[in-house]
Amino acid sequence: MDTAQLITFLSPTAPRRLRVIENILVGKRTVSTLYWGMRYHQLSWLGYEKRLTRNVMDQTALELKNKGLVTVEETNAQLTELGAIEQQRLLNKHYQPKYLNLRLIVDVEALWQRLLLATQVVSEQAYQNKHYYPLQVSWQVKQFVKRWFHQFYSDDLRKAFQDFWQTFLSQLPNDQALLMSRLLVGHQRPGETLVQVAHDFELTESEVRVMITDLICQLAKVIAHTETASLRSLLAGLSRSLISTSAQQTLNSFMAGKSLEVISHQRQLKLSTVREHLLEAAIMLPPEQFDFQRILPAQLVTQMLARLAKTPLDQWQFTQVADLSVEFWQFRLLEILRSKQTDDKY
Amino acid sequence: MISTEQLYQTLQKRFGFSHFRAGQLEALTALTAGQNTLAVLPTGAGKTLIYELYGAATQQLVLIVSPLISLMQDQVTTLNVKGEKRAAALTSLMTYPEKNWVLQHLTAYRFLFVSPEMLSQDAVLSALQNVSLGLLVVDEAHCISTWGPDFRPEYLLLGQIRHQLNDPLTLMTTATATQHVKTDIKQKLQLPDATEVVLPIDRQNIFLDVAQFETQTDKDDRLIELVTTLKKPGVVYFSSKKKANETAELLALKTHCRVAAYHAGLDPETRFKVQQQFMQDQLDVICATSAFGMGIDKNNVRFVIHYHVPSDLEAYWQEIGRAGRDGKQSIAILLYQPGDEQIAQFLSDATVPQENEIHYYFQQMAPQIAGDEKANLIWFYKQHHYQERQVQELFERRREQRMVAFRKMMGYLRTPTCKRQYVQHYFDQVSQPDELPADCCSSDQPDIDLTALGLISTNDSVTVSQNEGPASWQAILTQLFNADGKTDAV
Ligand SMILES: [Zn+2]
Repeated sequence: MDTAQLITFLSPTAPRRLRVIENILVGKRTVSTLYWGMRYHQLSWLGYEKRLTRNVMDQTALELKNKGLVTVEETNAQLTELGAIEQQRLLNKHYQPKYLNLRLIVDVEALWQRLLLATQVVSEQAYQNKHYYPLQVSWQVKQFVKRWFHQFYSDDLRKAFQDFWQTFLSQLPNDQALLMSRLLVGHQRPGETLVQVAHDFELTESEVRVMITDLICQLAKVIAHTETASLRSLLAGLSRSLISTSAQQTLNSFMAGKSLEVISHQRQLKLSTVREHLLEAAIMLPPEQFDFQRILPAQLVTQMLARLAKTPLDQWQFTQVADLSVEFWQFRLLEILRSKQTDDKY
Repeated sequence: MISTEQLYQTLQKRFGFSHFRAGQLEALTALTAGQNTLAVLPTGAGKTLIYELYGAATQQLVLIVSPLISLMQDQVTTLNVKGEKRAAALTSLMTYPEKNWVLQHLTAYRFLFVSPEMLSQDAVLSALQNVSLGLLVVDEAHCISTWGPDFRPEYLLLGQIRHQLNDPLTLMTTATATQHVKTDIKQKLQLPDATEVVLPIDRQNIFLDVAQFETQTDKDDRLIELVTTLKKPGVVYFSSKKKANETAELLALKTHCRVAAYHAGLDPETRFKVQQQFMQDQLDVICATSAFGMGIDKNNVRFVIHYHVPSDLEAYWQEIGRAGRDGKQSIAILLYQPGDEQIAQFLSDATVPQENEIHYYFQQMAPQIAGDEKANLIWFYKQHHYQERQVQELFERRREQRMVAFRKMMGYLRTPTCKRQYVQHYFDQVSQPDELPADCCSSDQPDIDLTALGLISTNDSVTVSQNEGPASWQAILTQLFNADGKTDAV
């Protein structure tokens, strides 16, 4: 996290909650975080910086404030006019990720570890060298790549990997291709660190991190569609579910027609937990995968919208509809539905 | 019993050496005679060869107790690289089924690394009780001593565990130990009669230099000057990650050297890359914390500079021991600015829980946050039925010991007399004045001429080679996948 990155998460037209931005980056999956993360178009960053601390977050916001780029009220920050200009400048100048959504359905960190180690193994094999220090990766990744190599070593891995990287890098702009290739580890090539490439390309560390993450997401996409078995199998077991396993189970029961009370009883969950699961699913999944109507009957929606229609979505208050026979979580669900239908950015 | 001749044969066959290094044969001879052995060999003296060769010669399982997961993984990797595939580390990073798999296939392994905590788990212990254990190695054995700097309470369990494993033949290894610590190790492992193999800790080819500065700017300027002029590669040690990072940037900016930071805060990919670049002479200088060095076997390091005062002489000696393993003239420089001792004191204090912290943690249940070292430490004692009062006393004593150890460290940099003799005295290994090297220390030779020592870099080969290497991604791929079809002479 640095000031340039935080600026891109903020808006000039409405205050944004710093705690939401922080929780999204850290990867907290509470309904409130996910809801506002969706409103801020920040969900693809979920869990992007798991080690981010409150202290760093607050320091970064303070730095922006001291430069006159944001106003901070309590823990809500909004870009000033100057801040909006700076944001525009950064959006033009800095690399903007396009594929981060993939992070939500693929464990791209593990994929990168596997691919990096596999590339090293293949590179050393190409030189018929068996005595080398393998990249230090988690035990799981190491075991995986061992098994993988055992399965594929007699294929022409050298050609498969060279072709793969050749194809992948040649469709990138030259500087991105060079940057990525310099990270690779192989025979007599220890590979360069993120700090080193950042320095050489005159980029900040957080910029390079975004770029690399986005490139790895692209790699995931390409690997998923490749015909080469040795490469495609590197993705095995790395798919992620958009929602937690428990929420998925609740959703399955719900979509099978069970009532919330029955689900609560059968799964031995509090009713409030069942509702949170459904809200999580409604936020994270495409709208057609969630039966909004069962919880929001048409008449209720009409009643509520009559009260809310003139208020911008992010200023909706539950008090506006509280006297109708509606519960807060239904109100939240309407907000989610409305957001998905209109996707009105700030 | 295995004869000396067989030991030499194995050395030749498995390791390709015709001679043992000092201490190795003595330790192996004691072990093959069935004597439990305490080997005090300096870092880089090849203490791992002792148990590697013992395992190879006797064809039995060697169980190595080691304090750090990263160290264990390094050791397994090193064995793998040497062609020994039957090595594994049993660590807390493994899942339950993974651990179980290793435990059910113990006979498939020749070398198994474990932490003391892991070893004290029932499942692990009973699996090991059912196999024939050739040798138990207690690596970094000084961790058992409350007198030592790296005390780990889990090591206290080892005496008992050793009995539960049916008192296997035991090798205790450590790089540095005072007489006090040696006695303590043997007592706590209940092996008072263990044979001692002790090598002189002195490193005659390392010139010992201490330089004092009035301000931090002076210190930084001198550091830049030293890094610019000294023969490389070298290591600069810091007591904080932040300072290591900052100085790496500063030196890269001011010296044209290839510099990188190395500390425990880096991700494993970066650590690997920095380490390997250094090993392959693609880096000139590493700005490191004490996390750097374990498992690094690079013999041409010419200088080790300390930017901060270490917390004790054991740590200092271990770190400067990474210089000059090739036997060539090298230098250890301690940069000191009055006031530095407060940083060291603060850091040292921070590792030992204070009275109110002990009280607080004693009220708590199991540690809430993974990696909260103090909470874990106190939890350990609580789990092993210590009273709060006992733990308070224990840490009170420990704080005093740390204080004494630090005063000795300060004594080293302040002493107007020979620094080498000061260290020898500290480790109870006093030598005669005529055994000191001609170029010894900055107390004897305050105005030492680094050029005369041959430590000044004579050419700019470093800067010339800086930008070599493929400039295009196509060239990188060609090299990675050997598209030119070279075969490699390894
Ligand atoms: Zn001297």
